[in-house]
Amino acid sequence: MAHVKVVRRSMRPEEWTELRFGWLQRGIYEEMEEIQDLTIRDARQTGENSYEYLDGGERPLKKGDVYFTPDGTAFIRGSARVPERFRGRDVYLKLSTAGEMMVRVNGRYAGGLDPNRDRIYLNPFLQGEEVRIEIEGYNRSKPDDERNPASLGIRGCRQIFEGAFLATIRENVQSLVYDYILLMDIAQCEYFNEDYRHFLYEKLSHALDLVDFDTWEGVDAAADYVEKFIYGNTDFHGSGDVALVGHSHLDLAYYWRRIHSVQKNARTVLIQLRLMDRYPEFRYTHTQAHTYEMLEKYYPELFEELRVKVKTGQFEPVGAMYVEPDCNIPAAESLIRQFLYGQHYFRRAFGKTVDNAWLPDVFGNSWIMPQILRKCCVDYFVSNKMSTWNDTNRFPHNNFIWKGIDGSTVYACVPPTHFITWNMPSQIQENWEAYQDKEKGGQTLSMYGYGDGGSGVTEEMLEMIRRFPKVSVMPRVEVTGGADFLHKNLLHNENLSVWDGELYLEMHRGTFTTKSNLKKMNRLLEFRLRTAELLFSLQALQGGAYPGDALRDLWKKLLLNQFHDILPGSHIHPVYEDAMQDYSDISAQITELLEPLKRDDWFNPLPFDRKSMVFIPEEGGNVTRDGSRGFWAEPGLPGLASGSVAPMKGIPGWLKVLNGEDHTLKVETPAYRIHFGRDGSILSLWDKTLEREWVLKGAGFNRLHIWADHPGTYDAWDILPNYRDVEISTSVTSPLSLTFSDDVSAEFTAVLSCGSSTWTMVLRLFARFRGIEVEHLVDWREKHRLAKVNFGADVLTREILCDTSAGYIRRSLTRNTTWEQARFEVCHHKWFDLSETGAGLAVINSGKYGVGLEGTEVSLSLLRSTIRPDITSDMGDHDLRYLILPHAGNAVEAGINRLAFEYNVPLVQARPAVPEELRNAICSSGLYLQSMKLSEDGKCVILRLSEQDGRRARITFPTPVLCMNMLEDPEGEAQTVQVRPFEIVTLGIPL
Amino acid sequence: MKSYIEDVLAPRIQGDGGWVEFVSLEDQRLTLLFRGECSKCQILSRCLDWISQKIREDLGQEVTILPVCKKPFFWDR
Repeated sequence: MAHVKVVRRSMRPEEWTELRFGWLQRGIYEEMEEIQDLTIRDARQTGENSYEYLDGGERPLKKGDVYFTPDGTAFIRGSARVPERFRGRDVYLKLSTAGEMMVRVNGRYAGGLDPNRDRIYLNPFLQGEEVRIEIEGYNRSKPDDERNPASLGIRGCRQIFEGAFLATIRENVQSLVYDYILLMDIAQCEYFNEDYRHFLYEKLSHALDLVDFDTWEGVDAAADYVEKFIYGNTDFHGSGDVALVGHSHLDLAYYWRRIHSVQKNARTVLIQLRLMDRYPEFRYTHTQAHTYEMLEKYYPELFEELRVKVKTGQFEPVGAMYVEPDCNIPAAESLIRQFLYGQHYFRRAFGKTVDNAWLPDVFGNSWIMPQILRKCCVDYFVSNKMSTWNDTNRFPHNNFIWKGIDGSTVYACVPPTHFITWNMPSQIQENWEAYQDKEKGGQTLSMYGYGDGGSGVTEEMLEMIRRFPKVSVMPRVEVTGGADFLHKNLLHNENLSVWDGELYLEMHRGTFTTKSNLKKMNRLLEFRLRTAELLFSLQALQGGAYPGDALRDLWKKLLLNQFHDILPGSHIHPVYEDAMQDYSDISAQITELLEPLKRDDWFNPLPFDRKSMVFIPEEGGNVTRDGSRGFWAEPGLPGLASGSVAPMKGIPGWLKVLNGEDHTLKVETPAYRIHFGRDGSILSLWDKTLEREWVLKGAGFNRLHIWADHPGTYDAWDILPNYRDVEISTSVTSPLSLTFSDDVSAEFTAVLSCGSSTWTMVLRLFARFRGIEVEHLVDWREKHRLAKVNFGADVLTREILCDTSAGYIRRSLTRNTTWEQARFEVCHHKWFDLSETGAGLAVINSGKYGVGLEGTEVSLSLLRSTIRPDITSDMGDHDLRYLILPHAGNAVEAGINRLAFEYNVPLVQARPAVPEELRNAICSSGLYLQSMKLSEDGKCVILRLSEQDGRRARITFPTPVLCMNMLEDPEGEAQTVQVRPFEIVTLGIPL
Repeated sequence: MKSYIEDVLAPRIQGDGGWVEFVSLEDQRLTLLFRGECSKCQILSRCLDWISQKIREDLGQEVTILPVCKKPFFWDR
C-alpha cells in the first residue's frame, strides 16, 4: 500500500499571525536620514590597544560598499546634522552590522553595535545639531551563529555596508513588537500549556486585525487589546521560581586572539553601562579580573563609569579569579594564583572581596577546587557545563554542596541550562523544567545575555523582564545579582544534597591532550616559576631583593594562557602562536631573572632528598635527552640544599642483551629481565627484586596505538567513546636496538612510521635505578588521529590512583555503571598508579594529562591531530617523556608523589642561603612546598605547604609563624601547625 | 606568489579562523585551497575579490582566482 503524506499547502492561521508580526517589525522606524559623509580607514590590530593602518588611507564609505578586511579593524568616522523635524524627539543612530562596533558620539562613548543590536540612543550625547561619529569596528568572524541563525548567511571577513542613519522610531510599534516577541515565543513553545498557546494565537491574531500596516493606525488599539485580553487573562497558571542574572560570557581567546578580547570586553561593558542608564532596574554580572584590568588600562573613561555602577550595585564583579581558567590542567598553585591575583585586583579596584567563582564554560572541575575556593574567601561556585553538556549521565544536582578532596565544602550551582540565553520565556521555562532541586534548592539560576563579544544583555531582554509579571503562565522571575542569588538560595540551606568528588564533564575529554606543546610548557613553567620564587624568597629572608613585580607579571601571563580555550587547545592557530610566544618570553625572563643567582653549585628546590636519577645538562655530556646533551648525576642532594653533583657511579657489566625471535630483544639488568618487542613495546617485565611479572600477557605494554579520531564538530574538544573502533597501523622502520650504553644507563631505540609521520621511541634503562624512561621523538603529520601508549599491566586492581597536583584521586577501573563508562578518558597530573597489596606500577610523566581507562587497560594519551578550530593542531615535532616505575608497596609507601616531583623539577644552578632551622622544619614535615614567595604586601615570606599522600602531618617552626588564608590575610599564629590529609596550608614568616 | 599568499595574506585570514594555501599559478589563473572557516563561508567571493585586489596592489599582477574549498567531514552534510 502506498503511503501518501498529506501536506497542508494553504496558510495556517498561525502563519498569518507570524507573517503580520514581520510586517509589524518593519514599522519600528518612523524616519531615517542617511549619514552621507562617512569615511573608513582599514587597520589591523597588533597589540592590546595598538593598530597598524593598512594602505589606502581614509576613503569614503557609502551604503552598498564592501567593508572590513580579514582580521581587520575598521575606523569609521563622519558627521551629520540632526534634521529639524527630529528635534525634541528621541533620536537614534541606526546601523546594522555583522561586525562589533564601539561608537563615540561627539567625543563620548555612546554605545555599541553588533548583530544583536542595531541602534544607539543619541539624545544624551547630542550637543546642538551637530553629531560627530567615531566608530571602531571589528569584524566578528564568529557571531553567535548557533543562537542567531539569521547571522549565518552574513558571516565572513568582508561585509556590505548597509548605511548609517539618524532615525526616529514609533514607540508604540516598538512596544507592541516587544509584546509579540514575548507572546509569540510562548505560543511557539511546547513547554507551555497547549490550551494557553491556542488561546494566545487566537488573541494575537485578533489584535493584529486592528492594525493598518500602511498607516500604522490601530497600533494603540492592538496594544490595548493585548493588555486587556492576554495580559489581563488569569485563567491559565504557570509555576516555577527563576532568578534572572544578566551576564555576558567572554572567551579571552578562541576564534580571536587575546588582544581582540580587550575591545570585545570594552564594547560589552559599554553596552551594559548604557543599558543601565535607561533601565535603572538592570543588574549585570561580569567576570575575570583581567578584563577589568584591561579596561582600566586602555579605557579609563569607561572604567570610571563602571566603578560608579559597581558602587550602586548595578554592575557586579563576579568570579574571583584572574581569568576563567581551565580547571583540570593547571596545578593547585596556579589555581590559587588565579584567586590571589583576581581577589587582590577586586580589593584594590572596588574595595571588595568576591565570594563566588563564576566559571560557566569550563570543561569540568578538579576535586582540589573546594579547598582552594574556601581558603580564597570564596564560598560559592557556579559552573554550567555538567548540566547541559554531559553526553551520558544527567548531573543530578543544580543547587548543592560540593565536597572537595580534603573534605572542604562550598555551595555550588550548576544551572540547568546554558549560560548564554536571550531571556525568552521558552528558555526560562526550560530552565525551570530542567531544574532538579525544585523542592530543596530554592530558586533556579538562569543567566541571560549574549556572549563572546555578542555583548551581553539587550534592550529587548530587559523589555521582556518588564512584561514577564503580566504573563500568567510564566514562572515567577526575580531580577537579581549573582551573589544575591547564591546567598538567598544556598547559604544555610540545610536541604541541599552533597556531591563528594570531582565535577567531571562527560564531554571535551580531548582537551586533556590537544595541543601537546601548550600542556608541556605550562607544566614546565609552573615549576620554573616555583623555583624562581623560592630562590628569591630565600634571598629576601637574608635581606636581599625580591623582584615581586616581575614575578607577578610572569605569573599573570601564565595564568592568562590557562584560559579555558587556550590551554585546552580549543582555538584558532594565531592563538596558539601567541601562547607559545608568551611561554617563550616567560621562560626567557625567568632565565634572565635567575642569572645573577647562578653559581657552580646545584640546588635542590624540593623539600626532600633526591632519590632518583638526576639529569644534568652539559654540552660535553654523553647522553641526549629532551634535545640537550648532559649526564646522569648521582642522586642524594638533600632537600633545599646545594652542592656539587658528580656523575653517577655505574656498575660495570650491568646490562645483558640477547636477540630474541622476530627482532625482539631480551635484556637483563640488576632489577629486571625484560623482553622488548621490536616496536619498543614491553612483552614481559620480570621484576627480579619483587619476583613477579608486570606485563599482562597479550595486553600490550608501552605499546603505541594510533586510533582514528573523528569526534565531529567539537574536533579539538572531544574524544568519543568509540575511538578504539579503528586502529591505524604503524610499521616498524627500524626495530628496537641498543643504541647507547655505559656503566650507568642504556638506550634502546626503535623507529616507527604511521602515514607520513615518523615516531622514534627511546627506552632508557639504568644500572642503579628501577625506573624505565621512555622518550618519544615524533614528527607528527597526521590528521584525525589519537596516539596513545597502552599499559596492560598484570596488576589485579579495580582502581587507579591519579595525581591531582595536590593529592590523588581514586578512580574506578570497572565499567559497571554508566557513570564509570562515561569516564573512559580522565585528567591526571604527574602520575597514575595501579597497585595490588604489596606492589604496584606507576607511570610518571613530564607534561601529559589524558589517561584512558578501558577496564584493566590504561593508556596515556600522547598526541591528537584535530583540524577545528586549528587545522595545524599538533603538527610538527614533539618530544614526550614518561617514566615507568614498578615499585614495592602502594603508591604512598613507594613515595610516588616525591618521585614525580623529582621527575618534573630539575636541579638549578644556585647556592641560596637556607636558614637551617627553616630547612629542617620544612623537610622533616613530609609536606610538599607548593610555593615560597614574598607576600603581596612585602611583609613576610609565604610558605604554601600541601599534604599530598592522604595522611595527617605536622610542621613545627623555631618561632611562631602567621597562619593565613590563600589571599595572604593573617588568621592567627602558631609554632606547630597540624595539617589534615590533602590539606594545603599557607603560612607567613614575618620579615 | 606562493610566499605572498602564505606569508602576507594567510595570517590575515587565519585571524578569522580561516585558512588559505597556494596551489598553483598558471596563465594568471591562481588556484587557492581554502580550509577552516573559509571552506564553508557563504560570502567567500568577497574575500576572493580582496585577495585579487591585494595581489594587484602589492605584486602588480592581475589574476583570476580559482578557489578550492576543502570542507571538513563534519560540515559536509
